[in-house]
Amino acid sequence: MTLSVTAERSLGDVLQRRSRIGLVIGSGGIKCTMAIGLLKVLAREGIPVDVAVGCSGGAIYAAMFALGDEVAAIETRSLEVWRDLFTKLHYRSLLRAVAPALFGYHEQVGLVDDRRVWQVLEAHFGTRDFGECRIPLHVAATDFRSGEKVTLTEGRIIDAIRASIAIPLLLRAWPVNDRLLVDGGASNPLPIDIAIREGCDIILAMGFESQMTDDVRSFTNAVGRTSTIVTNHLLRATFAFYSAAHHAEVLPIMPLLDRDIGLTEWEQIPYLIEQGERAAEEQVPYLRRLLAQTLGDASPPRA
Amino acid sequence: MMEVSIQQHNHVAVVVIAGSIDALTADALVTALLAELQQGRTRLVADFSAVEYTSSAGLRVLLTTLKDARQRGGDLRLAHIRPNVRQVLELSGFTSILKCFPDRDSAIASYPA
Repeated sequence: MTLSVTAERSLGDVLQRRSRIGLVIGSGGIKCTMAIGLLKVLAREGIPVDVAVGCSGGAIYAAMFALGDEVAAIETRSLEVWRDLFTKLHYRSLLRAVAPALFGYHEQVGLVDDRRVWQVLEAHFGTRDFGECRIPLHVAATDFRSGEKVTLTEGRIIDAIRASIAIPLLLRAWPVNDRLLVDGGASNPLPIDIAIREGCDIILAMGFESQMTDDVRSFTNAVGRTSTIVTNHLLRATFAFYSAAHHAEVLPIMPLLDRDIGLTEWEQIPYLIEQGERAAEEQVPYLRRLLAQTLGDASPPRA
Repeated sequence: MMEVSIQQHNHVAVVVIAGSIDALTADALVTALLAELQQGRTRLVADFSAVEYTSSAGLRVLLTTLKDARQRGGDLRLAHIRPNVRQVLELSGFTSILKCFPDRDSAIASYPA
């Protein structure tokens, strides 16, 4: 038996109307700059996006996109933003961590001095709030006390992002609306669920797996490797569940890197952007075919 | 675009799929696969050597077929998966729940006679 299919409509009612497209950018530290490559492709191809969802470093780029920032400006700024961002230690936290009986422990401990992080966020986002976005923005974070997933959709964007990027142990937890929040990646590294909840039919899901370090030569390395294993599996489990469990079409954009890139390796950003762009381009042919089938898009959109 | 051809190899039905398994082709593929199962051909091998792309809709086709085949005492096994498709299958955990083989012959041979 031979069967040939060119454009069988399998999405049911989804194809009877203009598809609602969600952009999800997951957690991944400096690797989230790969999202710039994806944003370049979206702009070049004229792909309409209706909802932006971001987590941790991905929240920075989801927010910039939702606010309508030009991709070229985002790229230029990113080359500066990450420089020396995580290189200064927060000595009080360090002392509290090693000698809590002497210096007193505090749940907002973070080993990195976050003043520069705040300055960078303030320089870009200032007092802008969610209401100023041209499309709805959702930022994923984690309640440090209850462990619950949290979605931030209102208030100052800077607070939402600062909470979402609070990498456990590195950056202090951040209070928002009477909750103490940490990195969204701790509970929801690729928040596809938020895009599904917001009614998206097609979800561009950009996630970032971490590379395993070659060898473990210190306790810090061991902690890092353990974190990488747990985070990668959480990312895969999240992608697997929402891909199989829901009718939404999830297009994974997960660039494969040939090297491990740490938070302080900002000189790798051009390479990361290039890899993000390449991975996004792989999805374009299918995305264009999919959009061409919707009644609202008689022909594939072009910028 | 996708093409499906089904060939019988003794006790195994080999489903050769070419093109993209996605939301635009998923219904046709699942219909063809479930039709094989309903006719009692429950030992399936999907030859993926010409599958260029798989989306989440494609993953759901595999899952539906796998569940149905196993409920009928058979199985769905994959052969010759391209690296980009394998990446999606690995990310979604499908390589953990499906038996995958480097080529069609070894997939066919994996079923007892």
